[in-house]
Amino acid sequence: VTGPVVAYQHGIFPRSEDVVAATRGLERGRVTQHDVDERYDVDLEIFIRTQQEAGLDYYSDGMLRWDDVFRPLVEACSGLEARALIRWFDNNSFFRAPEVLSALRTDAGMARLVPSPGVPEPRLACLPSPYLFSRAADVRGDRNALMREIASHLLRPAVETLVERGCHLIHLQEPWLAYFGIEPDDWEVFERALGELREAAPAERATLVLHTYFGDVAPFADRLRGLPVDAIGVDAVETDLASLRGPWKTGLLIGCLDGRSSVIEAVDPSVRLMRNVAEALEPSALYLSSNCELEFLPSEVAARKVFRLGEIARAVKEAR
Amino acid sequence: VTGPEAVLDTPLLTHELGSLDKPGWRVKAYAGARLEEADIEEARAWGKRLDVPDHEALIELLRTAPLDEDGRAEVRRWSSRYGMRLLESAGLDVVYDGEQQRSEMYAWAVANANGFEWRGSVRAFDNKYYSKAAVTGPVSLREPYHNAEFSFLRPIARATLKVPITGAYTIADWSFDERFLTVRDLSRPAAERRGARHQARRAFVLEVARNLIRPNLEALIGLGATWIQIDEPGASTDRQELDLFVESFNIAVDGLDAVFSTHLCFSDYDLFFPAIEAMHGCRQFAVGFANYDGRELGRTAEARPGYAVIERFRDLPSRPVLGLGVLDIHTNFIEPPELVRDRILYAVEVFGDPSRIHVTPDCGLRTRSWAVAYQKLVNMVAGVSLAKREFGLA
Repeated sequence: VTGPVVAYQHGIFPRSEDVVAATRGLERGRVTQHDVDERYDVDLEIFIRTQQEAGLDYYSDGMLRWDDVFRPLVEACSGLEARALIRWFDNNSFFRAPEVLSALRTDAGMARLVPSPGVPEPRLACLPSPYLFSRAADVRGDRNALMREIASHLLRPAVETLVERGCHLIHLQEPWLAYFGIEPDDWEVFERALGELREAAPAERATLVLHTYFGDVAPFADRLRGLPVDAIGVDAVETDLASLRGPWKTGLLIGCLDGRSSVIEAVDPSVRLMRNVAEALEPSALYLSSNCELEFLPSEVAARKVFRLGEIARAVKEAR
Repeated sequence: VTGPEAVLDTPLLTHELGSLDKPGWRVKAYAGARLEEADIEEARAWGKRLDVPDHEALIELLRTAPLDEDGRAEVRRWSSRYGMRLLESAGLDVVYDGEQQRSEMYAWAVANANGFEWRGSVRAFDNKYYSKAAVTGPVSLREPYHNAEFSFLRPIARATLKVPITGAYTIADWSFDERFLTVRDLSRPAAERRGARHQARRAFVLEVARNLIRPNLEALIGLGATWIQIDEPGASTDRQELDLFVESFNIAVDGLDAVFSTHLCFSDYDLFFPAIEAMHGCRQFAVGFANYDGRELGRTAEARPGYAVIERFRDLPSRPVLGLGVLDIHTNFIEPPELVRDRILYAVEVFGDPSRIHVTPDCGLRTRSWAVAYQKLVNMVAGVSLAKREFGLA
């Protein structure tokens, strides 16, 4: 790899057993919201420390208060409502589908998306990709029209706010494309939607990553690497990396830790995988992370994965 | 109506699907904590409202909290009585106890199995979590884990009993695999890894079906259970594994002498077809639909978008009954009887036969308070009465 090697942890990080107990206690009237907030603050401190001790290159707030990847966006948007519970792909985990009620408006602002000031720089922020959002939403009508509207009126202002507030890496979650695929006619709209976000996060101010997961995206590789982002993320658990062809002009994020398995990956095979990828694809930059968000794991297991991510990244950097 | 076969043939039969919330007095007393007066008053009020026999004995017991082990076990049984009475009092035809004696549908099964180790809490949605274990050794039944509750409930039930039991696929799917899958090196060829993963999943699921679920079913049947509902909320999690889910169901029940049904929820139900055509031993599919439906009245397909898939259940060759989910268990919205009626009438219109429709909530009501759950169920029964009137069945 001629460019940088960068490691970070994306997505919603699991809440600790203390937060789980506190939120349960709040529902039963046994603790106050203040108690719950204090637990969240402790979780955030621990997650920041975990990322620092792991030696990661960007820091996240773990989206610890996000009930799903859409929720704060839905709550910030007057045209959306979080309603029906829908399975989150092939997981025992559910999200509330954003129901489109009217034109999207974000008059209330995006402040709640911004990581706490306690998160050190450089910071990253995660958002749902416009294609994912348009397909997961509950809407009657043209989903590509919705994708355009989401990009222009919801995600663009969100990205602008995040970049303005010090997030130097914007990570877009895109499992839909990997799991369900995409129709040929949808690519152009998707590319334009990403172009809107690229304008909101110009390359000199922020790195834009589109991360695909929960499926094998090798069949879409040629289209993916032409998208207006700095790096494409692939799920190494699901994707046949050997079938990707180089040179890979953009950056490449390899999701090399299985966010759905409690087994902690060994370092050596992961480093070998990275070496194979670097030699075969020659990406301009190599990003390392988990294949998916870690919220499918108990928090202690997830923290061990973050430490392991740091170990793998160190070994890859030393091997350059 | 006596035997399970006759019960199954009853048009618009009403039943609950599983768990109810655990009341504060049950949670605190079972945890060995002291109770507040409000907790005791809650137990008294519900005991009176539900006409729970001798409930003053519970009040006296709660006043002695914190309780010793025997006292805590007694509180659990009281909670079981209350849960069953709540369902009976709401007017349901078929009941259990709201799973008050169990910790949780997955945790209870795993806690009574060999071969698992706990790993911690994982979120299901919002602020709802479940404890997740990893399979680390051979799976087997430590001891039959529904016998005690069934033996307790059978002599005191006023309505027909149906035992809910968590299915093999769901138990395996909700567990981490630290035993069966051995090829984890991502630098290995993808095809090799996929093949290994498929084999490991199959071995895990079928071992749970054979060595945990089936012996537990046999034990229940030996005690006189006649209708057992195998809960499989995880069944459609992986669209590539529907055949595996079906195979595990069949391995668990084939040749056993009872009526078996299954409960499916919160899925893309289209995925189940055609795989579930092979579930010959499944007499009823209880499925949640209200979560996907609108709240306006109406009996047309346009008015009932949440029920679009039911014709596929109608067309199953074995002609099973459909347990029609008409209550959204994820909201405090109390469905009016007229809305329940319209959902039923639409389903009967599609099926052309009310005897193939039973009426249920979408899923267990444990995420709702008892007050909300009770009123939802009362309205469900009222909605069934309205629907029956339309068919001259009332």
